Amino acid sequence: MSVLEVSQLVGRAGIRASGEISVVTRPSWERALAELARGHRDVSYVELSAVEFVDVAGVTALAITALNLPDGRVVVEHPPPQLPRVLDLLWPGQLRIEVAGR
Amino acid sequence: MNAMPVEETFEHPALFYRDAADYTEQTVAFVRAGLAQGEPVAVAVPGPNLRLIKDGLGPDAEGLLFLDMTEAGRNPGRIIPGVLRKFADSHADRRVRIIGEPIWAGRSAVEYPACAQHEALINAAFEGRAATILCPYDESKLTAEVLADARLTHPTLISRGREERSDAYDWEAIVARYNEELQVPADAARFAFDADTLSAVRAFAATRAEELGLTGLRLLDAELAVGELAANSLVHGGGRGTLAIWAEAGQVVAEVRDAGRLSDPLAGRRPRREDQTGGRGLMLVHFVADLVRVHTTEDGTAIRFYLTV
Repeated sequence: MSVLEVSQLVGRAGIRASGEISVVTRPSWERALAELARGHRDVSYVELSAVEFVDVAGVTALAITALNLPDGRVVVEHPPPQLPRVLDLLWPGQLRIEVAGR
Repeated sequence: MNAMPVEETFEHPALFYRDAADYTEQTVAFVRAGLAQGEPVAVAVPGPNLRLIKDGLGPDAEGLLFLDMTEAGRNPGRIIPGVLRKFADSHADRRVRIIGEPIWAGRSAVEYPACAQHEALINAAFEGRAATILCPYDESKLTAEVLADARLTHPTLISRGREERSDAYDWEAIVARYNEELQVPADAARFAFDADTLSAVRAFAATRAEELGLTGLRLLDAELAVGELAANSLVHGGGRGTLAIWAEAGQVVAEVRDAGRLSDPLAGRRPRREDQTGGRGLMLVHFVADLVRVHTTEDGTAIRFYLTV
């Protein structure tokens, strides 16, 4: 059974996730993103170095969260390789998400 | 009054051409007619034909979108979202004009059913849209069966400079005819999965795909695509399914089979608005794969994708 754990970052706005983002763990990922959007000011961070896999719907949820922010951007740190691949294919040229440390 | 203004109707003629000179004359005239009316024009045809049209247009070719269909449309399933609708939607306020040649003599027997279905589905994807899509067919090289199918997938036919309505037009019959049963080879590796083994089936697919020769981005794509098909089985296919993976003619083939029925023939081909959730998993499979084949009935659905090693 795949699991996903999400916690708030300490000292900066955003979240840190570990585990797997898939159809099985979708509800907790979407809850975490909703919370991220509520606390967003200018730049929010999403730290994914402990995430092994993210599927298309998981990237979609993140992309839509970022697109709906009133301003600023989301910096995604150390995502699994699926994330930049799906962004390139399905959201080419979007400017709201910055991927750091592929 | 329910008549739609003429300029908002969708036109989808098949052009049967005999040779390079005939091809150039007809396609160049088609492009020029669009330019004269201020329509944005895109040309997506195989490389050598791209050259014929560019040379024929001369300076008029400047500023038009040219795509090599053997790359952009390698998998015919991505031509609607990735080429045709992408272009039309980026000029949503205008009538657009496109030459799309998805079927050429080198298309394999395993690709052709998906090509014919794609031609049929253009009619559904563009219903009521202000667009003209001309599809050239090489009379001298394509089989009689392919040319006959084009009369079912296109409401109008152009041959030897004459345009006529196709009395055989029936695109849904082509979608149904090429909804062919798919056989899995006996030596394929298999993995039955459910919600508890979603990560395991992806890992199994990745390991096997690597053993069969995929590397780098293609290996990443294989794992992603299997993950999307398996997730669809969990949500729409009865909560479980079976993966099969094998090598065939220089390609890795992965198939997911489940008990669901794919009732929307345009699934995975409908462009999504940027802020729309859902409906992108199968589209991603179409974007990364060299070919996607589907067989769907009341008893279940098999979707397989091909990645060239």
